[in-house]
Amino acid sequence: MDAITVNDLHKTFRLSHERHGSLKSLMLSFRKRTYDYVHALKGISFEVTEGETLAIVGKNGSGKSTLLSIMARVYKPTSGTVVMNGRVSGLLALGAGFHAGLTGIENIYLNGSILGLSRREITKRLDNIVSFAELEDFIDAPLRTYSSGMVMRLGFSVAIQVDPDILLVDEVLAVGDEQFQRKCYDHVRAMQSAGKTIVFVSHDLKAVRDVATRAIWLDSGEIRADDGVDSALDAYLAQSEGRP
Amino acid sequence: MLKEFAEVIRYRELLYNLVVRDLKVRYKNSVLGFFWSLVNPLLQVATITIVFKYILHASGRDYSAYLLCAFLPWMFFQMSVLDASSSILFHSDLVKKTYFPREILPASIVLSNLVHFVLALGVFFVYRMAIGGQITVSWLLLPVVVFIQVMLNLGVAFFVSCLNVFYEDIKYLATVVLNLLYFALPIMYMVEQVRNSERIPGPLVTLLYYINPLPLLLTTYRKILLPPYNFENIHDIPLNYWYLALAAVTSFIIFIAGYAFFNSRKWSFAERV
Repeated sequence: MDAITVNDLHKTFRLSHERHGSLKSLMLSFRKRTYDYVHALKGISFEVTEGETLAIVGKNGSGKSTLLSIMARVYKPTSGTVVMNGRVSGLLALGAGFHAGLTGIENIYLNGSILGLSRREITKRLDNIVSFAELEDFIDAPLRTYSSGMVMRLGFSVAIQVDPDILLVDEVLAVGDEQFQRKCYDHVRAMQSAGKTIVFVSHDLKAVRDVATRAIWLDSGEIRADDGVDSALDAYLAQSEGRP
Repeated sequence: MLKEFAEVIRYRELLYNLVVRDLKVRYKNSVLGFFWSLVNPLLQVATITIVFKYILHASGRDYSAYLLCAFLPWMFFQMSVLDASSSILFHSDLVKKTYFPREILPASIVLSNLVHFVLALGVFFVYRMAIGGQITVSWLLLPVVVFIQVMLNLGVAFFVSCLNVFYEDIKYLATVVLNLLYFALPIMYMVEQVRNSERIPGPLVTLLYYINPLPLLLTTYRKILLPPYNFENIHDIPLNYWYLALAAVTSFIIFIAGYAFFNSRKWSFAERV
């Protein structure tokens, strides 16, 4: 069964350097209202089978994050459709809604509810979250006393407790020290063997080779390769090395 | 719109958590905590009382109680609108990176201000009892009036929070309009003191005092919570329930219009913040 079906997806952004940030500039330029448009995605279509781990690679500005944001329902597509079967968790940023003045526990509840967890679900997973983040001694202290690594660990630990059918990840796997990263990848493998579908965007090609079962190479809003990991990455690398 | 509302119900815990966060963060590092939100209205009311009673020589018992009865709901409206105007931009990190019904952001602002308002009303009641005020049957109407005002506040909050994403002038415009309304509406004075003077054009009076549900609500608070005035030169007119019904209708229309307006634009916020 297809977990994700993306059909002829287009996304156009109105470029913001001519944006009207105030009524005054709107009035002054009322007659010459012209905009630049950026076609971030130009007709993307693909399916992801349940249990697949799909990596999306490509250089900056190729539309990777836009694609992931549309799948996570943060952006609406200009045209085309995305169908997701199952509970979706979008990890576009860690620790969404974290507040420096609140304690670790308070932030777990806040962040968890943003990710769609109910209060009861969070309470049930609280011990797991705290021990995965290795923050047992700090969890009642306000977040502003944490180091940035600790904040990231806490954000990641809440995120992985969402237990979705489909996980969307944007460059957030690389947090914490060596040992914590190993834990993260162990967790990703556990999700894979539990048959979960994962889509992730990464510039870390070693991680892509390690984890992904399939890769899509995006280039200026179009799919250039959709294949096994090695052949997609080889095509991507060949092109980027050819660049001056 | 019902579908959108059902999604808000699904995310009600996020709404709850944002309200709690707002209340906690606001007073976390202050010793007096919640009492700061009482100090401001009390000082304002004291100032107005002094000006009216001792400088302008308005006479009558309990002048400050009548002021407070309109001032607290006015503060509720004002703070809801001002805080809501920047609510989407303030949470741009959430809006850009996560999915949730966007209306939760302004709604959480209105609800946390509702908590302040209810607490302040509670203090007001305790004070009234302490000085020997009477509990009357008309107090039962209070939840209805508060509910109507919550609808109104939400409707206006939806408009300003949405517009402020596209034009940041809205926040400043709201401040100016609120300042004007503060003097134009019967807050510092009683509605009976406003006459349809020939100098004020008729349509403006209609718009300001009848179409606008706010003065009707503020006056209703006064009429249901306190006994008729006993002031010189002010002849008390009892509460006209048709005006309350009118306020309910216009507030509900503003709520629906604000929500529809917000919904039509809320998925483009992520591209603009």
